[in-house]
Amino acid sequence: MELAAASGKPGLLGRLSDVFWRKPGLFVFLLLLPPLLWLGVIYIGSLFALLLQSFFSIDEFSGLVRYEFTLKTYGELLAPANYDVILRTILMACAVSIAAAIIAFPIAYYAARYARGRIKALFFLAVMLPLWSSYLVKIYAWKLILAKEGIVNWLVEGLGLTLILQAVLSLPVIGGNSLSVSYIGTFLVLLYVWLPFMILPVQAALERVPANLLEASSDLGAAPNQTLRLVVFPLALPGIVAGSIFTFSLTLGDYIVPQIIGSSRRFIGQAVYAHQGTAGNIPLAAAFAVVPILVMAVYLWLAKRQGAFDAL
Amino acid sequence: MVIAVKFAKACRRFGTVTAVAEIDLSIDEGSFFAMLGPSGSGKTTCLRLISGFERLTSGHIEIFGVLSDNIPPNRRPVNTVFQDYALFPHLNVRDNVSFGLKIKGVPKDRRFKEAESLLELVKLGGYENRLPSQLSGGQRQRVALARALINKPRVLLLDEPLGALDLKLREQMQDELKTLQKSLGVTFIFVTHDQGEALSMSDRVAVVNEGQIVQADTPEEIYKRPRTRFVADFVGASNILSPELSISFGGAANWSSLRPESVSIAAKGEGRVVGTLQAVRFLGATKRVTFVVAGGEIAAQVGADIDLPAPGSPVPLAWPAKALHPMDDD
Repeated sequence: MELAAASGKPGLLGRLSDVFWRKPGLFVFLLLLPPLLWLGVIYIGSLFALLLQSFFSIDEFSGLVRYEFTLKTYGELLAPANYDVILRTILMACAVSIAAAIIAFPIAYYAARYARGRIKALFFLAVMLPLWSSYLVKIYAWKLILAKEGIVNWLVEGLGLTLILQAVLSLPVIGGNSLSVSYIGTFLVLLYVWLPFMILPVQAALERVPANLLEASSDLGAAPNQTLRLVVFPLALPGIVAGSIFTFSLTLGDYIVPQIIGSSRRFIGQAVYAHQGTAGNIPLAAAFAVVPILVMAVYLWLAKRQGAFDAL
Repeated sequence: MVIAVKFAKACRRFGTVTAVAEIDLSIDEGSFFAMLGPSGSGKTTCLRLISGFERLTSGHIEIFGVLSDNIPPNRRPVNTVFQDYALFPHLNVRDNVSFGLKIKGVPKDRRFKEAESLLELVKLGGYENRLPSQLSGGQRQRVALARALINKPRVLLLDEPLGALDLKLREQMQDELKTLQKSLGVTFIFVTHDQGEALSMSDRVAVVNEGQIVQADTPEEIYKRPRTRFVADFVGASNILSPELSISFGGAANWSSLRPESVSIAAKGEGRVVGTLQAVRFLGATKRVTFVVAGGEIAAQVGADIDLPAPGSPVPLAWPAKALHPMDDD
């Protein structure tokens, strides 16, 4: 009976799966259709629209957008005020990425080499936990922590290190009245919010390094620091690059952290926000927004040329 | 004779599991020494104790008379060919092989020259720029060998290095390894679960079981005079006779070993016992024949061209007196 049913007339779903079996291409097409629509039309499409906007300019008298192709807007980016914004943002993104890599590496190394079972689950929980709470809440919390009346100042006073903190805050450019209104504060908070995005890829990369490679290195006479430099680091590099793509691009685009914590000097994100909003200068906002894309493209190209993806 | 490696009551426990139980063993310099045992017998742990990847729970290990218990792997005069080769995937063949010299700070041109001559030695000249992922299993094995030899170790440890190769290649590599060992004069300590490999390649074999060395001897001794039932059974095939059967076969009142190839078919009316032919298996050059005898069953290995009577027929069986070898009880 059942045998007859199997070879007899299939139901609607059965017939559908038969069609897919006969035409596998159709199945793949249907599978990819929603993401392609989303990524292709909405995401790439709006990026393209953005790129297009950046080649228009604004009429200085009327404040209206002139729909003629020109490089004038990009020229404006090189004006000292705008150029400073770009340089400041890129330097901050570099500093955050480097510091994140330095802090993430030992944590990731521990998690990949030593943590097992329950401890490993706890590690993932601890790394991900900050991502579960509201971004804004975290940043305002940091503002309180870093403020003049905040816990950091209190601790520093308690330890009798006020002079050292004062000395650091009196440094030109990166200093300020208190941590919460200095670049140091911006740096600390950006480092905090993006650190998980560095730890996880580095941990994944280290996990893929077989333990016997470390043994082989040591067997051939390498001291632990040589093994780290010649074997572990090159093999973890794709993970570090992947992590730094996150930390670098997220820092390049962030406009909330520098708005709340830091000096009043702008970052790219803030510039985009200001130009497209109150100033109504969409072309300049678009040109600013293109900068991180270009920087990331150059960065990836450099990373590839340095062989960061060879071990993938 | 200089002793290359000496275990003195060396013991390694993992929690409640004893991997290596208080073994005593001396390995002569310049010898090809095999550690033979089933998986989980502790033979690989023995090797890792010599290389320093495992630390002793108690006892001592001396390498060329130097107490090595507190010396880390990178400062021991031994090198390892790993079971799955452990080649550095981000380095090409030349950089893999010359890694040991790079660590020592040897300048580039000298270490590359050295690497090339070693690659010639293992017949891999011309592969310098390949990545490990572009090599076959046999080629990786040769790279691993060259890499382990570049530091001119006094002892080379090989952890089942031929395990992943197919039969033909494995036999070829067995010959090459043996020749290489003789020409270099380096002490080779070789871990394997393949008794044929251990017997054919080594000067001495230690049979390891449950963390203990059951017998350490020349391959011939081990094959001809296995000390225990485990050795007789693990090294080659054997008829293991209970004390009763051994007595009825004219042997001692011990568990005894009788190799199938020693058993032959005698002329009618002669022979030591009469067995009933039960089954025949054709093995190519030989046939394996099982006979039922009073009190048990024995196997004989005879030439493939010998004519056998039909199953169920009585057959007189014979063997040389010294082929029946009495063993210890454990």
